[in-house]
Amino acid sequence: MTFSSSFLALLVYGSLGWCMFTALGLAALLIRDIRRGEIW
Amino acid sequence: MSVEQALLPPWLGWTLLLGFSVLWIGLGVYWGRRNKSFEDHALAGRNIGLALGSATAAATWITSNTTMLAPQMALQLGVWGMLAYSTASLGLFLFAPMAGRIRQLMPTGYTSGDFFRLRYGRVAWGIFLAFTLFYSLTWLVSMAMAGGILLNTLSGIPYGWGMSVILAVCVAYTMRGGLGAVIGTDFIQSLIIIIGIVVVGIAVLAHVGVEEIHANLSRERPELLNVLFPAALMAIFNNLLFGLGEVFHNNVWWSRAFAFREGVAGKAFALGGLIWFPIPFAAGFIALASGALDVPVPSADMVGPLVVAKVLGLGGAVGIFVIVFCSLASSIDSLLAATSDLLTEDVYRRLLRPSASPETLKASAQWITLGLGLFTWLVCLPRIGTLASVLFFAGPLVGAMIWPIVTGLYWRRATPTGAVGGMLLGAGIGLVSYFAIGFYVASLVATAVSMVWVLACALLSRSRFDWSQLREAS
Repeated sequence: MTFSSSFLALLVYGSLGWCMFTALGLAALLIRDIRRGEIW
Repeated sequence: MSVEQALLPPWLGWTLLLGFSVLWIGLGVYWGRRNKSFEDHALAGRNIGLALGSATAAATWITSNTTMLAPQMALQLGVWGMLAYSTASLGLFLFAPMAGRIRQLMPTGYTSGDFFRLRYGRVAWGIFLAFTLFYSLTWLVSMAMAGGILLNTLSGIPYGWGMSVILAVCVAYTMRGGLGAVIGTDFIQSLIIIIGIVVVGIAVLAHVGVEEIHANLSRERPELLNVLFPAALMAIFNNLLFGLGEVFHNNVWWSRAFAFREGVAGKAFALGGLIWFPIPFAAGFIALASGALDVPVPSADMVGPLVVAKVLGLGGAVGIFVIVFCSLASSIDSLLAATSDLLTEDVYRRLLRPSASPETLKASAQWITLGLGLFTWLVCLPRIGTLASVLFFAGPLVGAMIWPIVTGLYWRRATPTGAVGGMLLGAGIGLVSYFAIGFYVASLVATAVSMVWVLACALLSRSRFDWSQLREAS
């Protein structure tokens, strides 16, 4: 039994999309914290 | 590696190294101006917000191992290798509720050593310090050594120079800026690493599709796609327990729990886990593409840079250099800060100078950081190549500390006898199994033995711990 091509595609594209999303999310969180004066 | 074999010309490597060194040290000096006391220096004033908190949790866990070893594991253990590596994120997810509880039970605590001293007494505290210092120093030395080797391999910069520069830079900004500088630079480093990995991944996919990678693996290396790959399945448990033990006990993570603003710690660690989770896949799959891209791989640990250099040329080599440099710095600075705080609070303050002023403690922490840097530099200078196995050797030690910490935080019945016996028996039997069976069962055995002893002692105990005792940490 082997991992299918579509499962591999899900892992690869899913992880890259997830990474992009988290990078944008981190930047958005930082802007929110700066606006609220809660950065540190 | 010779200059001819390196992916970057040495002058470009030096330029990148010096450029980032100036940036990190400049930021450390700038952010360090706010620090007046030991609390400011060691815990960034206990006021870190969610954005910096989440980024530092992820960045500290993204070591050079994550960016370099994930492709290697994918090449050797296939799809399961990437999945196994990603289980290390469970450490961050499970530490999230614990971090909230730590902040609640010990609002004025400084280190994980404070917890052991107040919860279990001095014997357990001493054993914990011995275990955690052995592990932290081994990790620190292995990171610095990896820095020298990777910079040499990527750009031809001589090992001794690369290792010395990266260590000196991290010591300089950690010494000057304390945890605030570490967390601030972690944010920038985490964004550079994540964006770099995405760019590299997209570039690889532009050259070869997933279908093609899968077809090539099915033909040439079918075991890498095997759902029942035994070696890879065993690696999952070892990685999982090693990750849990590391995050649960190490002051690198406890110091962050103390440093985050009230209400932030749990969310920050959970978000840190979410940020970290996809990295082993995103960084690892490029190794699986090596066959389809026809990239010769002379040694498995260089598969990532070789594939990237093939598809992106000089630009890719620069990208890998920057990602590796940021991964190394984000882990070395955290280890320097957390270990120097542990030595300052648990050894200097508690054992040698209980009446030391906050300013004296801050100065001591800075000198201890410098001393740690010098110690690491001296150990790394001869380039001993066997430290990875020493780090695996530490697996039973960290595995044996999982149950004393979890039960100590949540269960009034957990006892000092349970903690002391759990750590000693777990580590001892775990080490025996390390030599008798193999590294892949050592953490599992240590954790299981420690669990049985800790739970048995707690169930037989009549004592009930008073949580308010943990508030005496200040």
